[in-house]
Amino acid sequence: MLSDQSRQGLASAFERAARTTIVRSQDDACQILTEPPDGTAAFSADPLLVITISSFAFRLLTLFQVADNAANRAYFLPPGGGCTLQEGFAEVANLCSGALSREMSAVFPHLAMSIPSRLSPQCMDSLAQLKPDYTSRHTVAINIGVQVSVTLCMCCSAPVDIPATLAQVQTTSGELEIF
Amino acid sequence: MKQTDNLSAEAAQLKNIALAFERWHEDMISLTDQNREMHSKGDDLVTIVRQLIMLSLNAAIEAARAGDAARGFVVVAAEVRSLALRAQALSQELSKSLHRSDLVTTATFQDIQAGGKMMMATISGLESMLGQLRSKID
Repeated sequence: MLSDQSRQGLASAFERAARTTIVRSQDDACQILTEPPDGTAAFSADPLLVITISSFAFRLLTLFQVADNAANRAYFLPPGGGCTLQEGFAEVANLCSGALSREMSAVFPHLAMSIPSRLSPQCMDSLAQLKPDYTSRHTVAINIGVQVSVTLCMCCSAPVDIPATLAQVQTTSGELEIF
Repeated sequence: MKQTDNLSAEAAQLKNIALAFERWHEDMISLTDQNREMHSKGDDLVTIVRQLIMLSLNAAIEAARAGDAARGFVVVAAEVRSLALRAQALSQELSKSLHRSDLVTTATFQDIQAGGKMMMATISGLESMLGQLRSKID
């Protein structure tokens, strides 16, 4: 299990990542709603995109769901984009997971990220199969009608301690002390 | 100096782990392909079962129309319908199992993929440290 402090650290790191990557402009109104841990609402039936952030001590699955509707298409696809919403959104999801990964790498220097994979939304019902230590569900609502659901699924193989104030942790990665 | 050379050689050898990651990567792609094939067969099964249920329902209606002469056939039609419903429940369970398998396979696949990058970055960091160490000794 993750401590309350680690959960808080993960949630706030995700919020910062979402606000700088999923939200396209600082002028956009954005609200991030986090479902209570005991939430039992059914998962969305929208297509599922998965990206894993791995470290020696844990793997963190970031699972994105975005409905294929006019509001989401207008927001996430460039005008005359020539690609599907799912294709276009994969890049946004990649940026969001990348931002989360970068922030976490201040505490976990050995961290890497997979490429995105598409899955059926029915797979969400089997998350428990991965024996997660912590799962949180967030809804990113932007302006009117744009909405993205993100589930974070943390599976630890060793004790993991995420500072609540992750963004303030000064990174020293890249400096190699020899003597 | 010889020790740093040995360490550099070991680090270079460790980079061959990329070959193992490529092998696992190929195996995972093969597993994913197999899952996709099973999904396709599962979809065929769902179609067949759906038709079987309709067929057994029609048989029951026709048997009922035929009256006493088809009393035995009513029992057969009911049995066929019961079997079809069991097959439907089974195909739904199969579908759930396949989705479960998809998630676990993908999570493992992505973990291996990210783990490979992580290991290569670590080895590169080690090589860089050894390079700096050697230049200090020189």
